[in-house]
Amino acid sequence: MTLNLTEAEMKVLEDLSVKKDLSKTSLIRQALRLYQLVEVRVERGDKLFFEDDKTKEKAEVMLL
Amino acid sequence: MTVEISPIVLLNTERGEPEAAELWDAITDAQLADWEAEWVPETFKAVQKLHRRGVERHQWPQSRHWDWRAKVAELKGLLGAQGFSIMCGGMTQGMMTLDMGSKRCLLESQRGQHLIYVDYVENAPWNRKDLVNTEPRYCGVGSIFIRTAIEVSRLEGFKGRIGLHSLPQSESFYRNKCGMTDLGKDSNYQDLRYFEMTPEQALIFVMKGGSL
Repeated sequence: MTLNLTEAEMKVLEDLSVKKDLSKTSLIRQALRLYQLVEVRVERGDKLFFEDDKTKEKAEVMLL
Repeated sequence: MTVEISPIVLLNTERGEPEAAELWDAITDAQLADWEAEWVPETFKAVQKLHRRGVERHQWPQSRHWDWRAKVAELKGLLGAQGFSIMCGGMTQGMMTLDMGSKRCLLESQRGQHLIYVDYVENAPWNRKDLVNTEPRYCGVGSIFIRTAIEVSRLEGFKGRIGLHSLPQSESFYRNKCGMTDLGKDSNYQDLRYFEMTPEQALIFVMKGGSL
């Protein structure tokens, strides 16, 4: 398949590939796994939070 | 489901010689049937012996409660999960599940990089020194699984980085035999010690002979 990305999306993909020391294919594969995992957990009724490591403050990520 | 089977070798301690075995890149109904019909009763008998010998409960193997059927069902269909099993002598000798998508490195030198996380790994009860009072039937299961996790890590582009939380009875294996870095007890994970392997440590482990 061909993946069509905008210039901005391509830039993010390239930057993350460098930062994570991964190929673009590996990075997209990881993104898909994470997306599926989040979807499964949210469908199950779980919530997704980000927690500030210092203040322990939690912010829920709203997924509609 | 297509299962890829790779030839491997385990050491048959009774005969004192290598024996042909298989590494499956899945945990199927065949392995779960072995677990249910053979592993569970053997583990129960071994725990009973420990109890009768006066060994305290906190020293019994913590994996005795693991329900592999539930674990495998939980992972079914997830792209970021992969099961492996080792077959030898017509019997399942070990099972392992890997998390390939949701964990990152904690070790300072590789913090934030992706790794393969060994979620669960277990040897058949008759291969465990902590359970049987005699020599394990087969040796090599743990090393082959670590080698497998390293290989998966490399194939995923993670350069051999792996991580895991160890049950107390296995800490020495990961620290000394596998050469992993011990990052201490993890209060967020039942106080189990967390171990991580760097690409360099993975290379050393493989060079030492952990081959597939």
